[in-house]
Amino acid sequence: MPFEEDERDPQHVPLITPPDLPIDIKRENEFGSLTSKDYLYQVKCLDGEAIPEPVIDTPPYYISIITYVNYLILIIFGHVHDFFGIRFQKNKYSDIIEKDGMAPWYSSLESFYVRRLKKRIDDCFSRPATGVPGRFITCIERISHQFNEYFTYPGTTRMCLNLSSYNYLGFAQSEGKCTDYAIETVDRYGINPGGPRSQVGTTDLHREAERLIARFVGKEDAMLFSMGYGTNANFFNAFLDSKCLIISDELNHTSIRTGVRLSGATVRAFKHGDMHGLEKLIREQIVLGQPKTNRPWKKILICVEGLFSMEGTMCNLPKLIELKKKYKCYLYVDEAHSIGAIGPNGRGVCDLFGVDPNDVDILMGTLTKSFGAAGGYIACDKWIIDRLRLDLTTPNYSEPMPAPVLAQIISSLKIIIGELNPGEGKERLQRIAFNSRYFRLALQRLGFIVYGNADSPVIPLLLYCPSKMPALSRIMLQRNIAVVIVAYPATPLIESRVRFCMSASLTKEDIDYLLRHVNEVGEMLNLKLNSGKSSYDGKVQRWDIEEVIKKTPEDCKDDKYFVC
Amino acid sequence: MSSLNTTGIRLGGATLPTSVPLPSFIITSYSYVWYCFNVLLIKVPGGHYVVDYIKKSINDDPYRTVIEISLVLYGIYYYLSKPQEKKSLRSNKPNLSEQEIELLIEEWTPEPLVNDSPVDMVKQGWRTTKTPVILDGGIQNHIKVSRDNDNEIYENVFNMATNNFLHLCNTSRVINKVKDVIKNYGVGACGPAGFYGNQDVHYNLEYTLSRFFGTESAILYGQDFCVAPSVLSAFTKRGDVIVADDQVSLSLQNALQLSRSTVYYYEHNNMDSLNQLLSELNAAEAREKLPALPRKFIVTEGLFHNSGDIAPLPDLVRLKLKHKYRLFIDETFSLGVLGAYGRGLPEHFGLNRADSIDVTVGSLATGLGSSGGFALGDHVMAYHQRIGSNAYCFSASLPAYTVAAASEVLDMMENDNSAVTQLHYLSEIIYDTMMNSYDALNQFIVIKSEKASPVLHLELNAQFRFDKFHYTKEDLFDTVSALQKKRSSHIVYDPYEQEETFLQSIVDEVLSKHNILITRNTFLIKHETLPIVPSLKISCNSDMDQEELRHAVENIRETIIKSCSSL
Repeated sequence: MPFEEDERDPQHVPLITPPDLPIDIKRENEFGSLTSKDYLYQVKCLDGEAIPEPVIDTPPYYISIITYVNYLILIIFGHVHDFFGIRFQKNKYSDIIEKDGMAPWYSSLESFYVRRLKKRIDDCFSRPATGVPGRFITCIERISHQFNEYFTYPGTTRMCLNLSSYNYLGFAQSEGKCTDYAIETVDRYGINPGGPRSQVGTTDLHREAERLIARFVGKEDAMLFSMGYGTNANFFNAFLDSKCLIISDELNHTSIRTGVRLSGATVRAFKHGDMHGLEKLIREQIVLGQPKTNRPWKKILICVEGLFSMEGTMCNLPKLIELKKKYKCYLYVDEAHSIGAIGPNGRGVCDLFGVDPNDVDILMGTLTKSFGAAGGYIACDKWIIDRLRLDLTTPNYSEPMPAPVLAQIISSLKIIIGELNPGEGKERLQRIAFNSRYFRLALQRLGFIVYGNADSPVIPLLLYCPSKMPALSRIMLQRNIAVVIVAYPATPLIESRVRFCMSASLTKEDIDYLLRHVNEVGEMLNLKLNSGKSSYDGKVQRWDIEEVIKKTPEDCKDDKYFVC
Repeated sequence: MSSLNTTGIRLGGATLPTSVPLPSFIITSYSYVWYCFNVLLIKVPGGHYVVDYIKKSINDDPYRTVIEISLVLYGIYYYLSKPQEKKSLRSNKPNLSEQEIELLIEEWTPEPLVNDSPVDMVKQGWRTTKTPVILDGGIQNHIKVSRDNDNEIYENVFNMATNNFLHLCNTSRVINKVKDVIKNYGVGACGPAGFYGNQDVHYNLEYTLSRFFGTESAILYGQDFCVAPSVLSAFTKRGDVIVADDQVSLSLQNALQLSRSTVYYYEHNNMDSLNQLLSELNAAEAREKLPALPRKFIVTEGLFHNSGDIAPLPDLVRLKLKHKYRLFIDETFSLGVLGAYGRGLPEHFGLNRADSIDVTVGSLATGLGSSGGFALGDHVMAYHQRIGSNAYCFSASLPAYTVAAASEVLDMMENDNSAVTQLHYLSEIIYDTMMNSYDALNQFIVIKSEKASPVLHLELNAQFRFDKFHYTKEDLFDTVSALQKKRSSHIVYDPYEQEETFLQSIVDEVLSKHNILITRNTFLIKHETLPIVPSLKISCNSDMDQEELRHAVENIRETIIKSCSSL
């Protein structure tokens, strides 16, 4: 430990000494073993069939009104606070006031949302954790002072059921084949690759991992990058410029937007998942060409995500491929959340829809989520990758992926494919599929409004009122459940939500525990707003919890209960 | 009913000034409309409030009513006219029939996704085949290297291309720590910082970094190349002013592009040029009388990525204070390298970081020998990044073992600066050895880097370049920017490609003859927006043997002289 404990600032997170647990308990805490073969589900391939557009359930009007009023009150009070604060409490507001002829880092208006709305619920974000973010996550407890102005740490921890980490296949583990391999590579390769890929940072491990990923996603070649965000943020400028057009889903991730901005390409957005709007837009853009000059576009790239992380919806891949072929556009699919977690073999949306990966021009994905590693990849035809290696900035300027991460990727991929520990990968895939479907259907039956597709491991439950977010997050933490709440700007203003990330490491009993608590808290916070619009029989669902737990495990294997 | 009618008529007769003659049909039609409206409204619950309001307003101020009615009518018109559609490009859509549209769509042929020209591939593709692949892990200074799909294999190669300057991450202490952390944390952090992704080790490293480098706060990022663009654009908006050195690396060029601000360049490390520019800018600002003060930054690098020289910090600090600017420095290559304890640029010049530099961005992957990046600065700035900086908010946290390793390295550096001292010593050796027979070298090569830089940057002498490859730095810049402006997919400039091939032939020669791995400075003219020329990089790390290093540099020097003179 670098510094003595007593000289540390109490406002800094303490280093927690890992508890000395017997290996089988540790293993169980990271990855719960399967309790019955009934709790498995083999995802079916859709054989090129498009999925119907998801039906979006809407809350009663009074909820929307309350939500707006809720924001209005927060905003009015915030402005009143600011008005008096800036005049009478100058020292407290020093960071937004001009000082010694220098502009503040950010102005009062720019930071209004952050200071007046987000800061009030800061205790629900960035909770420090320790240890493996597996089936359970160990949160470090903290005490909030002066309305989240700062925190102190008594040094205690709380073990929570983990619904927050992107640990879809449960590879966040501290023992097992993957960890062994990672530790082994540390001896051989060290942890620092020494320089950019094009100078001295390429090792045989990089080549192996790239070949494996290319094979896994069904492309000729692949490239690895050490950061998922950075993959997108420095990707588009390698082949797009201001004479090119990007047609982007309105809910695409910030990394894509950053990358597109850096490339200078023109962007037109279409409504999330709206394929008719997309077709109309493509036709219009081909006819109109570039703005002002009206010259035709050099190329048009359709940019979508495989699984949208805030909505839990999937892109309509068969339709996208049809459109792309019809209009000679290129298709880019960001599989950050879907690779590994989706499809009968975990190979992402192409696998699920049963389409040929070669119909998608560029497949991008991250390795942080399902594989328990870090970084991202791009997979394309070989001639494209060969060119991209010359034109992409990241391999020429930036650090490459370090060896232990590569080891984790290689070993987890081999487990998923079945080359390592045959049967284990399949079980993980079947568990995440069952868990996601079971929890999603159960929530719907209890009367909650839930977004997304049946097989999506991301399950957003709509809260609407901003004040219900901290309430839910704090109550759940008290009940030892770690959840993630998301609000504007990641979602539309009135659609605040809690996002459950399913994991193969959870057992059916864990989900039952979770359901009972969500049910109780849902009653308490008036979250059961389901109008029956998105349920299979069109009726308002308000099942009893015991009934749900009894019937849903069987029912969730039947597609008819899922409208989309 | 009749009373309603009289209300309407009375409006014409009594309340309006009699001097305005109103034709009777207007009055009767108006009465009729009002009557129907009235009947309708009374049926709606609460409608009588509206009726009462209108009656009262007509009695009190009929002109207001006229304005209100015209506003309502305009509102209805506006709503029905769908202004969004009119404003969009659709309005200048040529009047085309369905058939013509189909034809246009049929006709449109896009360019290939990426440049598919085989000619360009021949000219540029050798860069991939010549990239060395390390086969034995590469922990030691002597490595096994393969190139060209394993067609060339070299054993026991002396690695002089690494950026791992201190080599502290390969000590058994750090390696054991890494293994220990993987056994307790696994590999990935599985989530962004905001959602349980930041663990105790992450906060601990942030604390350690801020203590070691003497700032209030530090904040971790997933990759060094992404830090500067994300940090700078979190604070700047349209109208802000950035003054940047005209030889900053691509990471900062991206940052400037994403900042949306007005960017001015000053001559590389020329403080007179900077002073003059800042004075002019401040004078211009004073004339403009802006409503709010813009944020103003000076952006430069500590140890330059492309040339290895050092920014004159004391002068920068003097100018920034004088002209009220903030100083943003990319210290990717100088942290862990410059200064007695490796605390970077301020320590090199005997200054205090917190008082001199406002924002520092650095890398964990160079001197500190781990992976990832970070930013240093005061509390207010760091707090804002946790919400406003995209690469921090929207990306997963670093794996726990990388941050634990960096903490361990920093702890070692704090207590013992022998690695840094040794690095300084070896840096001087490579510099001095290369300079030894400077007369012979000088006609071909200029050394761009300073003595303190562990990376030696060698550029062809401008005259020599012009004689052999017939172009100058300005030619390259002009040609490339013209191509960039045209948005050409083929950014190829033959003389430059020839020089690159020539430099690569030196690298090849050094590798095959002397078993030493050096590298070209790999940059992409496609992306570079500032003047740049090819160069060779020779780097050292503190773990190298002094004699071997000296001998290696001599060999490199001889090879360069031989290759250049036989060109």
